[in-house]
Amino acid sequence: MTGIPNTDGNGRRGAAGEEIRIGFYVCHCGMNIASLVDVAAVAKEAAKLPHVIVSREYKYMCSDPGQEFIMQDIRENRLNRIVVAACSPNLHESTFRGAVARGGINPYFFQMVNIREHGSWVHTDAAAATAKAIDQVRAAVARVAKHRPLERRRMEVNQAVLIVGGGIAGITAALNLADAGKKVYLVEREPTIGGHMAKYDKTFPTLDCAACILTPKMSAVREHPNITLWTYSEVTKVDGHVGKFKVTVRRKPRYIDEETCVGCLECISACVFKTPKFEDEFNEGLGKRKPIYIPFPQAVPPLVTIDPETCLKFKTGKCKSPCETVCDRKAVDFSQTEKTEEIEVGAVIVATGFKAFDVTRLPIYGYGLYDNVYTALEVERMVTSSGPTGGEITLRDGRVPKSIGIIHCVGSRDKKTNRWCSRVCCMYSLKLAHLLREHTGADVYQFYIDMRCPGKGYDEFYERMLDEGVQMIRGRAAEVTDWTMSPEEEGKLVVRVEDTLAAYVRRIPVDMVVLSTGMEPAVGADEIRRMFNISCSTEGFFLEKHPKLAPVETATAGVFIAGCCQGPKDIPDTVAQAGAAAAQALALIDKGYVEMEPNTSYIDPDDCSGCKSCIPLCPYHAIAFDEGSKKAVINEALCTGCGTCVASCPSGSISQNLFEDDQIFSEIEEVLSHV
Amino acid sequence: MDTTTRHIKYQADCDPTFAPAIKAIPGCEKLDSCIQCGTCSGICPLSIYMDMPPRRIMNLVRYGFKREVMNSNTVWLCSACYACTVECPRQIKVTDVMYALKQMAIKERLYPKRFPMVVLANQFYKMVRHRGRMNEIHLVTRLYLLTNWFKLLEMARLGIELIRRGRFSVKPDNIERRAELHAILDYEKRYPPTEAAPK
Repeated sequence: MTGIPNTDGNGRRGAAGEEIRIGFYVCHCGMNIASLVDVAAVAKEAAKLPHVIVSREYKYMCSDPGQEFIMQDIRENRLNRIVVAACSPNLHESTFRGAVARGGINPYFFQMVNIREHGSWVHTDAAAATAKAIDQVRAAVARVAKHRPLERRRMEVNQAVLIVGGGIAGITAALNLADAGKKVYLVEREPTIGGHMAKYDKTFPTLDCAACILTPKMSAVREHPNITLWTYSEVTKVDGHVGKFKVTVRRKPRYIDEETCVGCLECISACVFKTPKFEDEFNEGLGKRKPIYIPFPQAVPPLVTIDPETCLKFKTGKCKSPCETVCDRKAVDFSQTEKTEEIEVGAVIVATGFKAFDVTRLPIYGYGLYDNVYTALEVERMVTSSGPTGGEITLRDGRVPKSIGIIHCVGSRDKKTNRWCSRVCCMYSLKLAHLLREHTGADVYQFYIDMRCPGKGYDEFYERMLDEGVQMIRGRAAEVTDWTMSPEEEGKLVVRVEDTLAAYVRRIPVDMVVLSTGMEPAVGADEIRRMFNISCSTEGFFLEKHPKLAPVETATAGVFIAGCCQGPKDIPDTVAQAGAAAAQALALIDKGYVEMEPNTSYIDPDDCSGCKSCIPLCPYHAIAFDEGSKKAVINEALCTGCGTCVASCPSGSISQNLFEDDQIFSEIEEVLSHV
Repeated sequence: MDTTTRHIKYQADCDPTFAPAIKAIPGCEKLDSCIQCGTCSGICPLSIYMDMPPRRIMNLVRYGFKREVMNSNTVWLCSACYACTVECPRQIKVTDVMYALKQMAIKERLYPKRFPMVVLANQFYKMVRHRGRMNEIHLVTRLYLLTNWFKLLEMARLGIELIRRGRFSVKPDNIERRAELHAILDYEKRYPPTEAAPK
């Protein structure tokens, strides 16, 4: 073993003056490479290159014996640089770096040549492919001689996690992490956690009551010693990076002291408005609330909130405020102002959920024009026994519907609105059909394009609905109208549809129309996305790092996503994804440190002119301007080694580890040497 | 074309008693489970001649399109090979539904006048009920006489040839002890089975 130093401490010099001894290995990859590229010729040519001491070919270089060759040659032939010509570095670069390190030299004294994806798999001419492989090898051999030893860096990770959004996804992730002993901050925009799930009556396909399964989890969040719950609050600013995010949370005043209010609701009965008068957001506007209100009886935290938009004390200042006098705990506090909290966390889980499609965008279905056209969420509130009608299905004119049409794909699979399928609408429409039949005994028609019921017990549920006699009409409802053409249609809403299975155009008169709306990214998703530097797909849902293999990670390290903010999904999938996000966040912070690749950029301060042109270009906000020295400074912890700043620097003062100018130029020279 | 007819279906065009009546017949209970996959139409050896494939019939029956179903030739073309019943992924007895529809059509006389399928079925039943056996030449002759007697002239040569070679017997076939058969069959007349009340 020679005395090649692994590093000299700053990771950029080292091994200087040492005689360069290169080991070269070419892989057959079974027949993947060897079937086209003449690997023996490649090995023979490589042996002639400068500094190459060893040149070998082997059937599977990535196998244990293959790696053993490398380690043995390093020891026996005092090699200090290794080149492997095989598959893509995406696949096996880390494998070979590991072997090089175990052999006793710095793992960055290694270069990989891709002669499979860039060679045998894409060419048909064997001689040309072999010649190309030899060119690639020559370039790599020239490059590796210029390599410097580098070290992976370690950075400490804050042990707290921020979760944005208190729906079922946020609740699940918070409980998982808190149970694992981690500090969790759960931030929710609304006065209560629970999200959309708290609004549902029963959940498909088992028809278990949503409140019965959700509210215990909501109370568990409130009571958990490791969870700090901030409702009626929003994240306003995010700084820092993986392991050390600095987050600012704005806490809106609810004019109630959270510490002293016990949720007795005396103040609500005392309010000068004797009857509820204002639109109740939680009940989708079907019910009314007072200016002082609690969204629903099981709200967590069980605190009342005063809405300054409607409260007379704020609007006129002339209210005698009986709410204040009736509260014996003196919890009502009109002087409350907005508060700002600053926290530091190691990881973030974004679970901001969805927004239901706005049906007024499709006037053809008559929402707002006809009283008896409802959205699915409204009906969901209506069938709930704790809802605005106490579970009674009564139309706006007080009648009980005898026939109900449920229109699927409202704002889904439509290029004029949203082109995606929201995955849950078929199932919840079937569920609503069941509940509406149960409550009213009405005939229920489903107007659907395709019945999409994939999931455990889902298709069985569809069959159950068929057997219950729900009428399935395959065809996208064309319009809802009150224009009648026959006596039986008098006083009813008529759904016009082509029943594509019966092959007739039909007019179906119904008393009530339910619009099954699809999902859209939540209001404010765009701001959240910018703050946490998450990219999104064209429809606005947050983009995962890999659609199959990294479904809860994002392009930003330490930021995870869960639930419908990533794409439409049902409750089981949301809970599973939230658990996965919690596990990923836990794996990150529980390790205690993050290891960073060393291929970061660095600035030569002597050459930097302080022009700041690199700063806005960095996609990771890794470059700052040091006002003292008037130079740009790269935060190595944030730099991902994309190279944008290197290419943009007008003075050429930015370089990148593993992609230094001399390394790249020597590579280019060799590739072009025979031109 | 001097008139334009309405093809759109009003709900009033449907008969709400139709589906319950069919579903009440043993074998037809599972009609609602149909997922409209089309296996029955695909497997049916006669669907190439049908104006409505069996899949569409299933849909029209369960949603009450009685007139349309009864105007279709599908039920009459069904030869009861049971391929649809065997293959149906929802285990619907499609053939039984076809039988139920035929029975209803015959009972309510909902078929085209001089429609040979119905005449054949009726004549077959009458003959077997009376004699206990079926005689081809008699049945075919009656069928043609009642539906299309021109056809009888066309087929006469073939018939004579078949008689000449002894393939057809002109003598009516009878079973022994016919009175006992009649007694069994009349039993039902005297003690009619209680009709399942439609839902």
